[in-house]
Amino acid sequence: MGEFKVHRVRFFDYMPTAIRAMAFNSRTERLALARADGALEIFNFADNYFQEKVIPGQDGRAVEALCWVGQRLFSAGLNGEITEYDLENLRPRYTVEAYGGPIWTISSNSQGTLLAVGCEDGTVKMFEILEERIQFQRNLDRQKGRIISLSWHPSGTLIAAGMMDMIRIFDAETGRATHRLLVERGVGASKSKEVVVWSIVFLSDHTIVSGDSAGKVQIWDGVTGTLVRTQLVTKWDVLALSVSNDESSLVAGTSEGTVVQFQFISSTVGQQDKEWVRTRTFKNHSHDVRALAHTETAVVSGGMDTQLVVRPLLDKVEKNTQESALRKMTLPHRSLVCCAKKAGLLLFQFPDHLELWRLGESDGHGEVLKQKDHICCSALSPCGGWLAYSTVTSFRLYRLQNNNISITKVSKLPKDLRSAHQLCFSPDSSKLFASSSHSSVIVVALNQPECKYLHTLKPKSGSRQPVHLLFASEDGKWLATANTDCEIHVYNLDKLKLHCTVPVYSSCPTAIAIHPTTSNLVAVHADQQIFEFSLVQKEYTEWSRKLQKQGLHSLWLERDTPITHVAFNPQNPAHIILHDTFMFCIIDQSLPLPEAKTPFYNQMTLRSLPEPQRIIHSHAFKICKNFQHLMCVSLLEDHSLVVVERPLLNIMSQLPAPVRQKKFAT
Amino acid sequence: MAKKQRGKSASSSKTADIKQQTDHFSLMLESSDDEAPEEVTFEDSKAEALRSMKQALDTARREKEQLKEKRRKRQELFQEQKKRKLLPADVLEEIDSKEEKEEERQTGTCPEVCKLPFSTPERESASFQQQAAEDFLQSRMYGPGSCRTTSNELLSLQNKTGRNKSAAVQFCFNPEHCELCPNNTRT
Repeated sequence: MGEFKVHRVRFFDYMPTAIRAMAFNSRTERLALARADGALEIFNFADNYFQEKVIPGQDGRAVEALCWVGQRLFSAGLNGEITEYDLENLRPRYTVEAYGGPIWTISSNSQGTLLAVGCEDGTVKMFEILEERIQFQRNLDRQKGRIISLSWHPSGTLIAAGMMDMIRIFDAETGRATHRLLVERGVGASKSKEVVVWSIVFLSDHTIVSGDSAGKVQIWDGVTGTLVRTQLVTKWDVLALSVSNDESSLVAGTSEGTVVQFQFISSTVGQQDKEWVRTRTFKNHSHDVRALAHTETAVVSGGMDTQLVVRPLLDKVEKNTQESALRKMTLPHRSLVCCAKKAGLLLFQFPDHLELWRLGESDGHGEVLKQKDHICCSALSPCGGWLAYSTVTSFRLYRLQNNNISITKVSKLPKDLRSAHQLCFSPDSSKLFASSSHSSVIVVALNQPECKYLHTLKPKSGSRQPVHLLFASEDGKWLATANTDCEIHVYNLDKLKLHCTVPVYSSCPTAIAIHPTTSNLVAVHADQQIFEFSLVQKEYTEWSRKLQKQGLHSLWLERDTPITHVAFNPQNPAHIILHDTFMFCIIDQSLPLPEAKTPFYNQMTLRSLPEPQRIIHSHAFKICKNFQHLMCVSLLEDHSLVVVERPLLNIMSQLPAPVRQKKFAT
Repeated sequence: MAKKQRGKSASSSKTADIKQQTDHFSLMLESSDDEAPEEVTFEDSKAEALRSMKQALDTARREKEQLKEKRRKRQELFQEQKKRKLLPADVLEEIDSKEEKEEERQTGTCPEVCKLPFSTPERESASFQQQAAEDFLQSRMYGPGSCRTTSNELLSLQNKTGRNKSAAVQFCFNPEHCELCPNNTRT
């Protein structure tokens, strides 16, 4: 492997934001997630839980609830607005004011024709879902308290609303409130506080399940309006409920960080009469669980500890397989760090500002944004002379001079450069590439002091998905792009046209890079597969075929975080350097590939062996787990390694207050 | 048998004629000087003692609440002042032309990260409602009676009960995070 001088960087104070709401689309197998800063993320559950898309947040958006209607995604928040999102261009499509004050909940009927929102002023507002927009239809009977949660009956004729101290059932057609279900307050000190029905579910057999701030999960008969059962699951609040599609299983999320499962089963085997019985309790969070989703095979939870947890249910998947493993998503599946190799500079991307650091110094330079919109993407040129970033609505380019002490904004930008999903500078810092709408890439020439529009590169496939990966080759000849349709296109920059398209692989690419001397494109995908494609020959390389034939080692394929960065070693052309959150790996293409039975993580054992033995036992994948959690691993021009870490403990120690649990002997 | 005394403990809400009766009664008592000392029944004295104790507790509780209220108001005032102090700077930077001039000559030191709520006059009332809703959430989740601890304590507990015991996670290197540490020691 050789020795590297390592710059160990731990001053990237990245803090993920709390998860506020989530919604699972079972048809497309996509999970939409809303965070406290208004950011929206889409995870592809069919592609190894890859975080496909991120729509940056906005100050004041305060999303409280999400709702899928077919392929369309809607959110509602405390700013009183309903927003529909454009998932192809990664931005809000439009917003509609509900004029009911802050909105607490949003839900659509199963037919997908009406959208109901619960407002602070006590109204449930109905909106018609039209093709390109939504239109206000009417209000249901106004109530005296705020509407905190809503649930449609699957038939679309009734709506159950969770409020303060009570639940109301509405007739969706007449708008009249037909039943009032009184929810009991807590005991002792909580008796003086109103009980909040945080979450509610209306089942097809007219059973209503509610979760409230007194820690109860209550089962009601929605026809008679009577209480059937009460189950106290926690001393704190039950914040979220989610039911499976077949209505056989229900989960409740609490402030303690536990997720309690109820199943509709008969308490005695063989008997016909079923009831809701509390079965499992999962404790996968340290803080409040505010959002839940119940897929066919798993329970997905998220909350104040910012981690997304997928807990497969062992009665739905095979035990002890890759499928049944617990998954935790902590750090983003994309790089927030840009390294200027020649200048030894690091650019850290935060939602509302950027930080520029020089390696070896302890003082950083910060660029503060006073904008409502958060940053989508940012980039630093390798020479350290240019800095660019984009939000959903705007694009900014800066010139860095005098050893980066002065930052000058470039005022005249080409009109076509409105906003970008991904940015990349050419290695000689003469061009900037910005991914634009529908998989196209805008090429801009950087001449001091301004920049000029050159060309727009478009793929032939006509894909409408955004480009999320860009890589410009060292010799300035090639530009590789990857989009969320799993397409990888390579453009010839001398001729400014499409050179070739890599055969589409079923999993989304998570990192791409072009080798500086061989011009081989290396692509790593969400399912951990690695491919090497020769741009000159326009076919997979010999090594890649060999790797595919042998297959990757099972321990490599079982890793649960994606590779977010691929780099090469100028001193050794056979090396490929890649990293995920928990390890970085140097693949030595000159060494044999590991076989299935070979111990995979063998670096420590190799070190203890004498030299001749070491050569026999070495295999191509050299893995180092000394640094965690990795946000970036890059190689500088002086052959030193930069490792940017964000230890999980640093994140955890800055989280908000969890509940105080009295444990014996503490 | 000693007569039941009413005397001092008679409440002011009693009607006028009863007061007259009492006055008349006490006048009668004063006239006989060398009578036996006043005998107070057991119930009366017990009631008196309980009443005075309750009063003392009530006053103590009221005082505590008043102090709490004062402290809370002062905290709110400080926050308000802080917001007001930062807000003018924010409004200035919104204006595009001024922003350009500012960024012409941006120098080195890492400026404070200001996270400010975005507000314009027309959205004042809407943002006020939003703030009220957020306050409601905040008070339900983190307000009084929510029984919370700090992340640092949680990590300390995990450390204490875990198999490998190691150093505390936070030694308060960051002054801003010092409030989170129950033991505010600076190493």
